[in-house]
Amino acid sequence: MNVSNISMQWSDVLEMIYDSRIDAVGLNERVNSLATRSIKKESKLEALNMIVSMCDLTTLEGEDTEGKISQMVAKAIKPNPLDTSISSVAAVCVYPSLVSVAKEKVRNSNVNVAAVSSYFPSGQVPMESKLLDTKYAIDSGADEIDIVINRKAFLEGDFRKVFDEIVALKEVCKDVHLKTILEVGDLKTYENIRKASIISLAAGSDFIKTSTGKLSVGSSRQACYVMLKSVLDYEILTGVKAGIKVAGGIRDAKDAIRYLVMINEEMGSEWLNPDLFRFGASSLLDDVLKQIKKLKTGAYQASYYFPRG
Amino acid sequence: MIDIKKTYKNYVGGKYVRSESGKTYTQELKNEFYELPLTSKKDIRDAVTSSKEGYKKWSSATPYLRMQILYRLSEMIEGNKESYAELLMDHGLTKQKANKDIDEAIQNIVWFAGLADKWEQLAGNLNPVSEEYFNISHQNPIGVVFSLSGSAVSLNELLMSILPPLTVGCSVISYSEENSVLALKLAADINNSDFPSGSLNVLSGKFQNIINDVSKHVEINLIALHKELENQGLKAIEENASESVKRIFSQPSTDGLSSILPYLETKTVWHPKGT
Amino acid sequence: MVDWKYSESIESADIVSIQKKYSNYIGGKFVEPKSKKYLNTVSPSTEEILAKVALSNEQDVNSAVKSARSGFETWSKLSPSQRSRYLFKIARLIQERSREFAVLESLDGGKPIKESRDFDLPQVAANFFYFAGWADKLDLSWSTKTLKPYGVVGQIIPWNFPLLMLAWKIAPALATGNTVVLKPAETTPLTALLFAEICEQAGLPAGVVNIVTGDGSTGSQIVNHKDINKIAFTGSTQVGKLIQKSLAGRDVGLTLELGGKAANIVYEDAAIDQAVEGVVNGIFFNQGHVCCAGSRLLLQESIHDQFISKLEKRMQSLRVGNPLDKNTDIGAINSKEQLDKITNLVNEGLEDGGELFQTECELPGNGFWFRPSLFTNVQPSYSIAREEIFGPVLTTLTFRTPEEAVEIANNTEYGLSAGVWTEKGSKILWTADRLDAGVVWANTFNKFDPSSPFGGYKESGFGREGGRHGLLSYLKASS
Repeated sequence: MNVSNISMQWSDVLEMIYDSRIDAVGLNERVNSLATRSIKKESKLEALNMIVSMCDLTTLEGEDTEGKISQMVAKAIKPNPLDTSISSVAAVCVYPSLVSVAKEKVRNSNVNVAAVSSYFPSGQVPMESKLLDTKYAIDSGADEIDIVINRKAFLEGDFRKVFDEIVALKEVCKDVHLKTILEVGDLKTYENIRKASIISLAAGSDFIKTSTGKLSVGSSRQACYVMLKSVLDYEILTGVKAGIKVAGGIRDAKDAIRYLVMINEEMGSEWLNPDLFRFGASSLLDDVLKQIKKLKTGAYQASYYFPRG
Repeated sequence: MIDIKKTYKNYVGGKYVRSESGKTYTQELKNEFYELPLTSKKDIRDAVTSSKEGYKKWSSATPYLRMQILYRLSEMIEGNKESYAELLMDHGLTKQKANKDIDEAIQNIVWFAGLADKWEQLAGNLNPVSEEYFNISHQNPIGVVFSLSGSAVSLNELLMSILPPLTVGCSVISYSEENSVLALKLAADINNSDFPSGSLNVLSGKFQNIINDVSKHVEINLIALHKELENQGLKAIEENASESVKRIFSQPSTDGLSSILPYLETKTVWHPKGT
Repeated sequence: MVDWKYSESIESADIVSIQKKYSNYIGGKFVEPKSKKYLNTVSPSTEEILAKVALSNEQDVNSAVKSARSGFETWSKLSPSQRSRYLFKIARLIQERSREFAVLESLDGGKPIKESRDFDLPQVAANFFYFAGWADKLDLSWSTKTLKPYGVVGQIIPWNFPLLMLAWKIAPALATGNTVVLKPAETTPLTALLFAEICEQAGLPAGVVNIVTGDGSTGSQIVNHKDINKIAFTGSTQVGKLIQKSLAGRDVGLTLELGGKAANIVYEDAAIDQAVEGVVNGIFFNQGHVCCAGSRLLLQESIHDQFISKLEKRMQSLRVGNPLDKNTDIGAINSKEQLDKITNLVNEGLEDGGELFQTECELPGNGFWFRPSLFTNVQPSYSIAREEIFGPVLTTLTFRTPEEAVEIANNTEYGLSAGVWTEKGSKILWTADRLDAGVVWANTFNKFDPSSPFGGYKESGFGREGGRHGLLSYLKASS
């Protein structure tokens, strides 16, 4: 996994931002065309297994308790106890106050603990508060941190502020893997998503992530397309490979497979691994497990066959 | 007593020119002899060169300007009504018929002048495509038009062989055989009407002499024949035209809007609509 | 490391039942050819013989024209509203049997099922629906008093979009009151013959539509027939010129839709990723067997390397293979003949000094195949920059200023289509105005709609198909 640091001069970042031109209709047509791929049989099973290994099983609710987290972690480690060929998920994703219990429950497994911070989901507080909850999560043992960009600053046109905040948060993280959430539902246009992607990548993010999952507009394949193009352009300029996480609104396996198709064909199969691609998921995992079982047995499944997480 | 009659010249590129061959042919009208240029293939070549330039200027003029220039032509002719009537009577028309012909001609010029800044609205349109695209079909003038005028001695018919392509922005090479005197007289009024040079060239001669050169010349985009040709002339022209997919129209309709349709190329442009 | 390969996802051919032998469709009946001769039609992806179809001769054509003439008497007596109803019915029946048609089209012609299912068939139905609605309101279409149908129209169509080209011809012809004798291309007759079944199903009066199959000689018979009032031809410029010549002096109407060598102009201020998609779509859609293909990439020099690098990467994800596999992007080349033409032109390009990039992909053993190809380092004088290749081969030329782009774009005897890529609105309109092309796609490519007129300038032909202007191809103004 790459350790990113600031690899672009701010003037280069600005140039790249202002060079952002995207035609929405053309982009939608390409994304829709990729969705016509028909993934069946062995290739489908392969895809479903990949999805499981790329999931960040997530719970971010006011009502989360230690008990709830324990259940979720157990499921994260063994998604389907009756089918041990199915791997663990990549990570669990929780609020900072639940990090230590999650960390305790995941020991002896490969599942990472990711925490949201920087006053997720809105980020509408002074920088000191953002640094504080990030530090707290890291001290509690988080392996990964998911922050939100400052949309207020972005939409006010203060790109430098957005950049500086991420740099500062990355500094706190040191070797801890940093995912920067763009919140595409707030950014709306494809150009905005691209600009936010570039700023986040240039500031040292290891991953860029579509959404908090807290808005009605979550991830879209279009947003993911814009982001992956940004990641590829960034790689051309700096040699650094950053990852993408899609979260919010990916309800079923069929949709998730469409994302994999897009990554596969636009980026290449070397990007299809949890170090470079993640799904933020809650209900997605269950649908994937159902589909796996259906492929293996030929029968449609019911959700009560699979443990609650 | 044989008067010295005017030697008419071709009108090309805004100037009066003799045929480079030096040759002429004679028309006798009411005991008077007119010497008319016997257009050669080199004359055609020069006329086309001038028409190409004329097309650039004329088609890039605003519709409003084209309208004004066409209207001015009608004013010029109006002012010269008497001499046109005299000439038509020399050709054998009665005074009444001559005046009627001239009035019709003027009326048609005025009609086409008023069409110059409107025909695009009648012939072009947006297309309601079923995806998120702006789609419009423009009409553009086809380019250089060679127009063989009819044999009837009629100012109106002569003008009707010129006005439709001219109005939509084509440059026109108007070629006359039997009514050359009339055509070359018209050239004088054209000259006074501010048409850009080369936009309207007027030539005379025997069409048989140049039929191959005209039908093979790749830079003539369209040939309009307003009379029937003998000796399988139409067949020869259409065969030659096929070598460059040239458009040929034999006795095209002069009725209203359909009169301009042959001279238009439709260009359809698509553009996505998005944020 | 992951190497995720897609499993086969084959569209079943069971939905189509292909007969061993087909007759012509004349006068409302299926009639064996008087010539007693037949042609084989082959699946270009496997080289397997699919069926025999009639090789029609002069007598067969004569029979067809006679029945089209009597069909015209019948068709003319119906009210415009009745004609409209027949066309709507046909449109609906096509929609219902779309999947069957799509599979058959892919088998007979080689194009991917994804295209025939998602593009060809929807457009076919849409064309019949669109023109059905004009049939009873022609008087509103052009404000001239005297537009009348030609009568009997001979229609000769190509092999690249067999059923769609049939729809582009038959729908407007019937809507405007004409009757037709249509000859599908030699290598792709089957969907036209299945369409004859639709005519039967719809109860179309006998003789209104007649389908005769055959080869070039059959086409000549149609063109030379004394009782034809108009010819509509789509095909190569070479043959189009021959047809125009044959019709000289005969007072037969003619529209021609011929070849092209379209320029796809990419300015430096284009939305680059979308321009790459547009360029790929422009030349690789339908294996490049498209008259309006964007076969010349005109690239502003300042973005050359960056663009080519993205383009090559994008080309690499094109999947060449079995047309019935739903994941195939590029199907088979239509015939051995066409494959040879493409190969020869590509070799010429190499000899001239062009640099060739081809994607790495496995090609099936049987059948006619060509890898997606891109030439760079090309001069405007090379044959690959001037001649229509009609295959998945893109040629790149560079320019420095907008004026130069327009000049290079127009420097061809063709004038069918063009593409313009820039995010600057005024530059789009400026460029579009100056391109000598019947269709200009700005920030898009290969877009079609029955309401949108299509056709060329210069040696790409004359007359338009589609839209209000397309009606003029089948109506003549009487003085």
